Amino acid sequence: MSGRIDGWRWAGRVFLVLILLFTAVPMAWMLLTSIKSQFAAMQYPPQWWPAEPTLENYTKLLDPTNPVGRDFLRYMWNSFYVSLATTVLGVAVAVPAAYAFSRFRFPGRTFLFFAVLLRNMFPAVVFLMPLFILMRWLGLVGTHGSLILTYLTFGLPLSIWLLKGFYDNIPVQLEQAARIDGATRFQAFLLIVMPLSVPGILATSIFSFIGAWNEYVYAATFLNRQDQLTLPVGIQRFFAEFATDWPGLMAATFLMSVPVVVLFLVLQRYFVRALTEGAVKS
Amino acid sequence: MAVSSGPTSGPLRRDDGLLRRIVAHRADYAYVLPALVVMMVVIAYPIWFTIDMSFYKTPASLQLRDRTFVGWKNYQTILTAPAFWSVTLNTLIWTVASTFFAFLLGLFAALSLHREFAGRAVLRAILLIPYVISAVAASYLWKWLYHSDFGVIGALSVQWGFTDKPINFLDNIHTALPSLIVVNIWREFSFAMIMLMAGLQTVPEQLLRAAQVDGANAWQRFWHVTAPHLKGVSMVTVLLLMVANFNSFIVPYLMTGGGPAGASDIWITHIYQIAFGRQNWGLASAYSVILFIVMMCLGYFYVQALTRGDKGRPE
Repeated sequence: MSGRIDGWRWAGRVFLVLILLFTAVPMAWMLLTSIKSQFAAMQYPPQWWPAEPTLENYTKLLDPTNPVGRDFLRYMWNSFYVSLATTVLGVAVAVPAAYAFSRFRFPGRTFLFFAVLLRNMFPAVVFLMPLFILMRWLGLVGTHGSLILTYLTFGLPLSIWLLKGFYDNIPVQLEQAARIDGATRFQAFLLIVMPLSVPGILATSIFSFIGAWNEYVYAATFLNRQDQLTLPVGIQRFFAEFATDWPGLMAATFLMSVPVVVLFLVLQRYFVRALTEGAVKS
Repeated sequence: MAVSSGPTSGPLRRDDGLLRRIVAHRADYAYVLPALVVMMVVIAYPIWFTIDMSFYKTPASLQLRDRTFVGWKNYQTILTAPAFWSVTLNTLIWTVASTFFAFLLGLFAALSLHREFAGRAVLRAILLIPYVISAVAASYLWKWLYHSDFGVIGALSVQWGFTDKPINFLDNIHTALPSLIVVNIWREFSFAMIMLMAGLQTVPEQLLRAAQVDGANAWQRFWHVTAPHLKGVSMVTVLLLMVANFNSFIVPYLMTGGGPAGASDIWITHIYQIAFGRQNWGLASAYSVILFIVMMCLGYFYVQALTRGDKGRPE
């Protein structure tokens, strides 16, 4: 290898170190702040390393016996419930649709498929007001149902697109063989196609879940009762009340991020696949 | 299900009447129906509603029976307001700068991570975390980093002698928008990285080696072998980043609220302010329609980029 190539490789390494610092230092600062007392965090120049590290901010948030902890755990449960319901319903709706887009050739198929995909082109804020009126009409304002219904449509386009890619790759002959052996179309789907599409379902599920967990705009508009709030909105209200409690806020944002980061790390392979599927054709 | 023509049976040909084909395939629609119903309710209705509302003057109470028809007046008001052009300029800067830098950093990261080395998977995972966590978390984290009195960035710039006193990043009309763009890049570059890493795997190794044997240097190999293979995925990535940036609301809303003095106000935050701040729903709807049109143009290119190479596929 010539020195020239090594030069490029070194440039790559230096770049990776820099980009790692850019990514990780802010997150490290979040952690360091979260183990400081409020007094220690508000100093100039800052304490680079906490002189007296404390877990007090975390115990406060996770303690169901004090009001702050009770609210926080409640928000976390709400977020979990809404995200899980969104994910399960999303799979139930997306699987048949994706299967149909992949296998059947009904008129309007292409048009409908792209109509579904275009959902992602529209900003949440623009739909806020009409959806609010719609939810009011459906009697869903102030319920988690309004959020689940809305989040469902965020996830659907990607889920359908991804699952269709999976079904496209499952040979039709497998189903035909099952049909010849006496299986109905539905049995062939359930017993042959479904098990093969588990990776696709996992990939779409992780996306729906993270999307629902992180959503803020609709949750802030559709919910009104304190005990219904999901984490992103709950944290915002918390911060509005305790405007200078930066360590508490950093601890709360850290705790809010833990579930999605863990989910992402465990299912990373599927996450990456979900992101890149369709955009990359080999 | 017996009526449904399966993937191969297909007794009907393309030139059969549309109605006949629809009837023959009626069972197929049952599969897409749940998805379509949900999408219709939550998408088609709001779009129709928004277009309709954009021609009315509406009371703050949002009682629709009290609205009055005003024709194109809302559109006129928007296009003649001086704020429109400054908000549009901000939106352009925000979208283009965020997309450009996120893509560039993502490309460098993807190229640097392409070769196998110890710790590569861990590094990739760490770089993706900002993309995974909530924008609310990111906004508060960066608000704290930028804090005018106790922010670590201001403290470092003093310590390293760049400035005499901490910069007030988010309250200064010159630094507010660039500061938000940095946050956006922090959140998004790893998306571009992941897409381009997947794209790099489609570059045939032999082709690169052949180019090397023929005496092409690293830059020539990148430009003539790697880059052409990345073209498709780059298009999709840039479009998705542009759409996401155009539509991103949480970071500017939570960090500056469009301020100071509108210096970081983009279309989305502006629409939100008109709708929920001034409660001028008709005007906000007209703004939304203009935004729809821009998004539909981007959407057209998105579909084009996604379906390239699909042309020869039989319907």
